[in-house]
Amino acid sequence: MVVAGRHRSVWVFIGLAAGLISVILLLYVGWVLLNWRTGILLFFGVILLAMIISGVILNTIFLVREIRRNEQHDAFINAVTHELKTPVASIRLYLETLMSRSIEDRKRQEFYHAMLEDSERLLSTIEQVLRTGRLGPSTHLTNLTAINLHELLEGCVTRARKLYNLTPECVQYRPGLQVAIQGDSDEVQAALSNLLDNAIKYSDKTVRVTVETAKVESKYIAVRVKDEGIGIPKRELKRIFKRFYRIPGLSSKRTKGTGLGLYIVRSVAKRHSGQVWAESAGPGHGSTFVLQFPISK
Amino acid sequence: MSRVLVVEDEQHLAEGLRFNLEAECYQVEVVENGEDALQRLLSGPTTFDALILDVMLPGKDGFLVMSELRQSGQFIPTLMLTARSRPDDVLRGFEAGADDYLTKPFELAILIARIRGLLRRRQWLEASVKNSESTASPRNIFVFGDNGDKSIDFGLLELLVRDKVFRLTLMEATLLRYLTDHEGEVVSRKTMLEKVWRLQEDTDTRPIDNFIVRLRRYIEDDPARPRHLLSVRGVGYQFLALPTSSKTARH
Repeated sequence: MVVAGRHRSVWVFIGLAAGLISVILLLYVGWVLLNWRTGILLFFGVILLAMIISGVILNTIFLVREIRRNEQHDAFINAVTHELKTPVASIRLYLETLMSRSIEDRKRQEFYHAMLEDSERLLSTIEQVLRTGRLGPSTHLTNLTAINLHELLEGCVTRARKLYNLTPECVQYRPGLQVAIQGDSDEVQAALSNLLDNAIKYSDKTVRVTVETAKVESKYIAVRVKDEGIGIPKRELKRIFKRFYRIPGLSSKRTKGTGLGLYIVRSVAKRHSGQVWAESAGPGHGSTFVLQFPISK
Repeated sequence: MSRVLVVEDEQHLAEGLRFNLEAECYQVEVVENGEDALQRLLSGPTTFDALILDVMLPGKDGFLVMSELRQSGQFIPTLMLTARSRPDDVLRGFEAGADDYLTKPFELAILIARIRGLLRRRQWLEASVKNSESTASPRNIFVFGDNGDKSIDFGLLELLVRDKVFRLTLMEATLLRYLTDHEGEVVSRKTMLEKVWRLQEDTDTRPIDNFIVRLRRYIEDDPARPRHLLSVRGVGYQFLALPTSSKTARH
């Protein structure tokens, strides 16, 4: 998909260059033929100048975009390398320790738990990456079923509490109306889990996350995931849904991730004819993510 | 008992490292970020004998922590630990001042061996400090320069240029040792990568040039017109202990 996109941009710019060259040739020939008529010359000169300027501008935009894309890709590779290798390193270290040393039972159990958690983490990174590959706009939803959103949310909230060792007060779920939506329950669950994970990951020391559902215009059901975490600057509210995008600066260094989570959420929302957006009063004021699906009739 | 500081934000890895190092009879302290590490090493009351430093840390990353430590004159033997295995990253670690480098996932036995190596070096250094004046082994001191006014003490990791003393990192000293051992020979960058850094892959060799620039700043009277550490265009470098004239630089 990215490759296709790049090919298209490459052809656009090759076309642009060819167009510019033919205009220049035309004008030179024209100049020879028409040099007695300065008015026409001026007219063509202005056109040529305008075209050259717009060509340069387009070229610059293209270059900057390509450089940004490369940077994000590098950051992604770094992040994924880290996310894949760290749990493997930890599992391996524990296995080698268990093999080479005599360890008391309590410690042994501790090690097993650590290894299990690391394998979970590894699996979730792998799933995230594979899911991104599957979610292209060209692929269609195949497993359409009626989903009970309430049950799905309850499952996600329970899973998150368990995964991050949090009490029910830290992650609260306030169910609204019971409604069903049409979709792929695996994908919707992944999207909801990603939103919850983010809310917890980007909370400061105290985690206070609330999940609510509400009907919107009796056509949609909106899931609001609200946290009191580090918040999002206004101009980043849209960009965070781009693939590989992570807010530059401290937050991306402080919290580890691949930059795929919200991209997956947005793709899932689109595939289900839904919407997702973020609201935040700015850094330090928490943020709210709203994921909206059409209610099935 | 040697004290080791582990800087690692991944809790499981940190605990695994702590358990194993304690089993090897080291005293271990774990900190989770670069700022804490700097604080412990630069102004803390306890002294450490070795440092295990992760690169991907929250806030200041390992490379930055490393170079800040070296700039502040903290020459603690350091093993860098990271998931990034590209040769460029390895060299970047050495450039920042690391003494050794291990990529994740690593083998436990190798990690322990590397730490032992670092500590042995340290102990050996301390021993030679104690009786340096009288019994400094001449083998470990390399004298060069026009009037023998420059010398490298490979035991103390010090470079003396007339009355100025420069502290060398293990890596700088190893590179100088290799060059002085092959005095007069032209050494290619690839050979240097293999012998000094123990890297096999074809890689960007610019970090070597950075090392040389740094060493020139120490040993050359005029770093822009080197007389000891000469560039051999397209090949590598050549070390001359007694330059015959300032025009020996081959271009």
